[in-house]
Amino acid sequence: MKLYQRITLLVSIVLTVVILAVSLSLLLFAKNTILSLSVEQVQRKQQTLRTSFSEMANYYAANSDSDAVHDSLVRYCFTRFADQTSVLMRNGEAVVSGVTVDPSVYVQQSDDYGEAEPVAVTVQGRRLLIAGSSTSVGGKSYDVYVVEDVSDVYDRISRMAWIFAGVSLGSIVLGAVIVTLLVRRSTRPITKLSDAAKEIADGAYEKRVMIRTKDEIGTLGKDFNRMADAVETKISELSERNERQRLFIGGVTHEFKTPMTGLILHAGLLRRANLSEDERDASLAHIETQTQWLERLTQNLLKLTTSDEEIELQSVNIPELLDAVKEGVEPKLNERGAALSVQCETDTLVLNPDLMRSLLNNLIVNAANAYDADAPEKPILLTVTGKTFSVSDRGRGIPKEAIDRIFEPFFRVDKSRSKKQGGSGLGLALVKTIADAHGATITVDSEPGKGTTVSVTLP
Amino acid sequence: MKNRILVVEDDAAIRDAVLLNLQFADYDAVAFDDGRKAADALEDDHAFDLALLDIMLPGMDGFELFGIMERFGIPVIYMTAKTDSASEIKGLRDGAEDYIVKPFDPLTLMVRIEKVLKRVGKWNAVYRVKDIVVNTETHTVTKGGESIELQPLEFDVLVALLRHKNMTVSRERLLNEVWGFDYLGETRMVDVKISALRKKLDLEDAIRSIHKLGYRLEDR
Repeated sequence: MKLYQRITLLVSIVLTVVILAVSLSLLLFAKNTILSLSVEQVQRKQQTLRTSFSEMANYYAANSDSDAVHDSLVRYCFTRFADQTSVLMRNGEAVVSGVTVDPSVYVQQSDDYGEAEPVAVTVQGRRLLIAGSSTSVGGKSYDVYVVEDVSDVYDRISRMAWIFAGVSLGSIVLGAVIVTLLVRRSTRPITKLSDAAKEIADGAYEKRVMIRTKDEIGTLGKDFNRMADAVETKISELSERNERQRLFIGGVTHEFKTPMTGLILHAGLLRRANLSEDERDASLAHIETQTQWLERLTQNLLKLTTSDEEIELQSVNIPELLDAVKEGVEPKLNERGAALSVQCETDTLVLNPDLMRSLLNNLIVNAANAYDADAPEKPILLTVTGKTFSVSDRGRGIPKEAIDRIFEPFFRVDKSRSKKQGGSGLGLALVKTIADAHGATITVDSEPGKGTTVSVTLP
Repeated sequence: MKNRILVVEDDAAIRDAVLLNLQFADYDAVAFDDGRKAADALEDDHAFDLALLDIMLPGMDGFELFGIMERFGIPVIYMTAKTDSASEIKGLRDGAEDYIVKPFDPLTLMVRIEKVLKRVGKWNAVYRVKDIVVNTETHTVTKGGESIELQPLEFDVLVALLRHKNMTVSRERLLNEVWGFDYLGETRMVDVKISALRKKLDLEDAIRSIHKLGYRLEDR
């Protein structure tokens, strides 16, 4: 059941109960008032009739000689005051009667001659009020009755009841309609909210609601929109991240496929072909280099994924760190005939020494690779000033259009040369990840043919 | 005349392995490690029956090279590590004959090469080993100039061995290439055909049984 239906139903029930209670009590009050008026009227009428009849009859008929005279005098006196509601009885016999009923059946005669309390009875479908009391005329006891037909009073009351019922029903229906309209109007924003929530759930993250009321629902609408903003931002962040990850995994897969293909082909040759001694050696050499390449790739992937997380920082003596770096890259530099000189003006910095070593290592090896094989001098300069680490070479430099992309995983300026030099395509991606983990900024300053300087500045 | 095949692949390990496989199967193969160099060389010498192209190449990528191949009427098979269907569709829609996804099986590569060469009508139908000449068009075999009668199945097994000359071929693979599908458990049939071939063509030494692997027709 919908909210507006429930509210309407509840309000209608309350409305009905209240209106019925009010109508009923008003009706009862009116009925009682009208009835008591009739009762009083009948009582007064009977009293007047009895008193008038009694006085006149006693004056004229008290001392009559014969019963016949007495009777006719009594009858005369009674008819002087009687109308068609009056009844005079003696010893249970009607002397004068304007009605067809015998009132003595319904009214218990009391012995005292006091006031008569009217009695309401229904005879043959007619509602009657009967009041009766005794009086004596010349020592004879008479009963004086007034039998008033009050059916029309009851008819009036029941007509009134019908009118009350009609008015009540009308007010209830009208009230219910008005309540429905009002409640629907005020719950319409809720329907809007619900529709918008459904659309958002189905993926329409840009959906917002327009609710301009100034009540709680208006506030809810504003909060709802704020929530939708947050959800949209988060979702787009996540999908961007997902896309990056998808591309990265695609790149990783692609990177693995080339060495894998080499391995499969050469393993197949070794196993299936009748190779000469030299061919066999060449195949094994290929297998060795491809396997080493895979090993480097996995090492770097591992570093790349683990240095993405929260890192531990500590205060590090920079000259010591640089010595360790130099020692680490020495074999590779010797292999390539490159010369590293170090200048340091900083004592200590807060950083993660293992990751920073890895970062500098990568930059230095990249610098060494920037020289052509036949370049005679291959100077590489590592400097630390303030919070900035810089690695410079005077190698071939990076083309302008490539500078923005060099930190992307598996991007290589010169694909085949990078592979010959054993590059995994992840070195600079790792540098960027480590710098990001430190909150450091990287700047690349390069000119083709002149050389490259990469600087990493800690925050 | 041997079929002449151009290989452009920048990865040395893959390039060398493919070259060896091509040599074994009696193809004349020329290889380049750079798209630009290959394109330049084609200006002087473009008498190739087929080109095997990597897609991600230094100098000039495989899709660009394809245009040059088209100009010289050289059919192309791409060797690609790009598994995303978009590049496959692009490669084939542009008119490449086939593509093979890395890592691939060298025997499959040989079968695909042969199919493409047959399709474009450049297939050299004649295999030679020692003094034996096998013509797959006329279905004739001669040894030292004399005609030798072979049963159809024996002929097919011989061609399959020649197709992968100097490479061990499993019994299952032989069955598959001869009958076109797997005859599981029927590998004994292969042994029978092989011994017949050995006898009829005097190839007792040349067709070697390699333990647990299969048979190898050696010729080097």
